[in-house]
Amino acid sequence: MDPIRYVEALNNKYGSMGFPPYQWSVNEDAPWTPMTKPLAECTVALLVSGGISHCSAVPFDANARNDHRVDAIDVDTPLDQYQIHDSYYDHTDAGRDLNCLFPLDRLKELAADGEIGGVARRHWSGFMGRTYNRSKVINESGPAFAQSLHDDGVDLLVAIPA
Amino acid sequence: MGLVARVVEESGIPTVSVSTGRDITALVRPPRSVFVNFPMGNTFGRPRDREMQTRILRDALGLAATAPEPGVLVDLPYVWPEPFEYFAGETTPEALAKQLKK
Repeated sequence: MDPIRYVEALNNKYGSMGFPPYQWSVNEDAPWTPMTKPLAECTVALLVSGGISHCSAVPFDANARNDHRVDAIDVDTPLDQYQIHDSYYDHTDAGRDLNCLFPLDRLKELAADGEIGGVARRHWSGFMGRTYNRSKVINESGPAFAQSLHDDGVDLLVAIPA
Repeated sequence: MGLVARVVEESGIPTVSVSTGRDITALVRPPRSVFVNFPMGNTFGRPRDREMQTRILRDALGLAATAPEPGVLVDLPYVWPEPFEYFAGETTPEALAKQLKK
């Protein structure tokens, strides 16, 4: 099966909802930080954008636009204590087993087996998309998030858009 | 999300993205990406399928360790067992009105 053409589908959806035209980011090149350690010595963190929040927290806005919220997900909190609010993908399966989308339990197993050096103390859920004010990501919310990763000694981030 | 990965990478931490939206990822061009042709929300497969979840996570980590150049996008070979479509989400008038207020 050919990959779904999301750009076209989302442009149509936003248009049907009266949103202003969405200008997708188009980059000809990418930034680069070399890996300086083997995986077996790397502390790894996950970031997911699928509207996942702890059950004790205010849910994400399922229809969010320009939402720069990002929540920490404590490494020791069981994944069944999280809820999902996001109207832009089918999270039926992720609701049954969050590892479908946010494989923190699998990451812990890889750490226990020594394939990675360790699991960060905090993982992250946020940056839900439909972000029209992208300069804020580049200048404010993105750098603040990156600082949290530096504070936690993260060597590698796995980013999971949803 | 790809934009966030780029900002994190620029701050000095390597990133690898695991995408189910190939065209979006190709445009935004995060530093390193694997593409999984699964429905959005099932990036790592099915509930309780620990083997597939681990495999895809391991593939992503492996790309982080071996990627030769910025902007690399690797298609993973896994096949979702049935056809799937773009998820249109809530399309009731109430849901649309709520979204328009933002």
